[in-house]
Amino acid sequence: MGYAYDEQQTGALLEQIISRHTTAKQAQWVADRLAAWQQQHALQQFNLAFAAAPRFLGREPVAVEEAEAAALPLSLEGYTLDRLFRIWWLLQIPAEDKERYVDIIENLFHSAEMNELVALYGALPMLAWPEAWKLRTAEGIRSNIGSVLEAIMERNPYPAAYLDEAAWNQLVLKAFFTEKQVHLISGLDQRANPELARILLDYSHERRAAGRAVHPMLWRLVGPYISEASFEDIERLWFSEYNAEREAAALACYASGYEPARQLLDKKPEIRAEIEAGQLTWETVAHRIND
Amino acid sequence: MCCSAQLTETDLAPQSMNPAYLDAIKGMRFFDPHIHMTSRTTDDYQAMADAGVVAIIEPAFWLGQPRTGVDTFKDYYSSLVGWERFRSSQFGIKHYCTIGLNSKEANNEKLSEQVMEILPLFIYKEGVVGIGEIGFDDQTALEEKYYRAQLQLAREAGLPVQIHTPHRDKKQGTQRSMDIALEMGLDPHMVIVDHNNEETVKEVLDRGFWAAFTIYPFTKMGNERMVEIVKQYGTERIMVNSAADWGISDPLAVPKTAALMLERGIDRAAVELVTYRNAITAFAQSGQISEADFDSVKEIDQSLKYNGSTILRGGQQPRPNKQSTIIR
Repeated sequence: MGYAYDEQQTGALLEQIISRHTTAKQAQWVADRLAAWQQQHALQQFNLAFAAAPRFLGREPVAVEEAEAAALPLSLEGYTLDRLFRIWWLLQIPAEDKERYVDIIENLFHSAEMNELVALYGALPMLAWPEAWKLRTAEGIRSNIGSVLEAIMERNPYPAAYLDEAAWNQLVLKAFFTEKQVHLISGLDQRANPELARILLDYSHERRAAGRAVHPMLWRLVGPYISEASFEDIERLWFSEYNAEREAAALACYASGYEPARQLLDKKPEIRAEIEAGQLTWETVAHRIND
Repeated sequence: MCCSAQLTETDLAPQSMNPAYLDAIKGMRFFDPHIHMTSRTTDDYQAMADAGVVAIIEPAFWLGQPRTGVDTFKDYYSSLVGWERFRSSQFGIKHYCTIGLNSKEANNEKLSEQVMEILPLFIYKEGVVGIGEIGFDDQTALEEKYYRAQLQLAREAGLPVQIHTPHRDKKQGTQRSMDIALEMGLDPHMVIVDHNNEETVKEVLDRGFWAAFTIYPFTKMGNERMVEIVKQYGTERIMVNSAADWGISDPLAVPKTAALMLERGIDRAAVELVTYRNAITAFAQSGQISEADFDSVKEIDQSLKYNGSTILRGGQQPRPNKQSTIIR
């Protein structure tokens, strides 16, 4: 009811991971909170458990098995026990009454501290009534708090699936402006669009005029839309003294249908071969920059 | 909080900066258990980090003019556990806070009732190390009512209490604050009595409370007086803070006082107790302070070497050269 995936199975799976990481005392705390909430349905009980989780569960990193990860609607990469509990706890809200469900969660957002915001935004792909969180997500992208932005942007499938184009473009732009790991944005290639390519191209010109570096990942989003207007930039990149930039130029040309760009790549058949063999990818470029 | 002071010509003359004291305290770590960073600049954060401040507590307080609605309280509390905490982390400083309804605004009964309703939402939040700053300002009946109500909250939550003692009629206000805390069943070891001076300190210590001193120019303690206090009373349950806020105050009061203490012959271990350890011991009773966090907040994930410029990660702020006329 209201969920876009099998929430029963996900709930059971999260419970399994939680119980694997809790001591007897912690497990008792979880059981007590759940009993109190299910018996009394007092919102204060619900909010208290959500807020107090780190006090009683701590923030040890959690280990997820491959089979578990594959069956979950979101990535638990970098999760700690308190954060894992928090997303599971959200599944304990009755979802039939949409208005009440949304109110309860919005209220958590309103009084959230940093780690709670991270947990809430990271939980977007798991929430019921997925259409109801578009504005909330766009609001989250306006945040200035690094970890909150990462929770929305990195390895989170919700924005690509539900945001309209303008909000999506803001997300990607903000990721560049705040130096997030753009290659970890889910749905980056699927949601590429000409308007975003234009904005990013303008941005690259601004950076260049200021004598500041342009992140090579930017060309990933320009590549499919290379035209006469942007080809000059790609050529400059092609002759760059930096490996990452030359590789970005090659990958951008490979994604392009613009004839001069195809011809440029043809000049280096060995690079084309590397791309076709999956040896040169945007992932490898990202690693070259980050490692 | 500040009020107007008697100014002389010397007070108005431009000050020259002498950072020599930084050498005396090189390698020391400081904990400022009372500072209102919401009212301070990023330059202050930078200077605090440079002087060795590794962690701070920001008590909820009055913002300089009265609030007119509960929503602004809510947003303010949210910013203490949200934005300000993040801003602080960008300079490698771990930020904690205490949450409470300050005494000045407790005089607005209608609003105070609404604030009391939302307080439980915030006091259980991570990084909230106490209820504060609460207590008396004018010592009115309403101030007492909400002081008591919040002591009750603190007792239920097992949180320390940070007491603001009044500027006016301080001695009696301090006594009353302690009397009521004991009457409400609080263990004095869970109560930090702030803004002490020579007149109040003895009784506070004798009754088993923590005594905090605010080093604040013109209106509270000067740090030469602080040196004498430590020489006379020792270090047990004594801590130093800056209470720097929107008034003429000094966010480096704690490291500067440490330097002055060393210079005037107080040994390093004692200095460390009153400028670092004691405050941690008092507020760690909340279960919310971990010294390991002081280091992890400093971690820069990795720096990105790209086109010869280093891009900082993990939200750390790059450092501009303030000495240069050129801004890049």
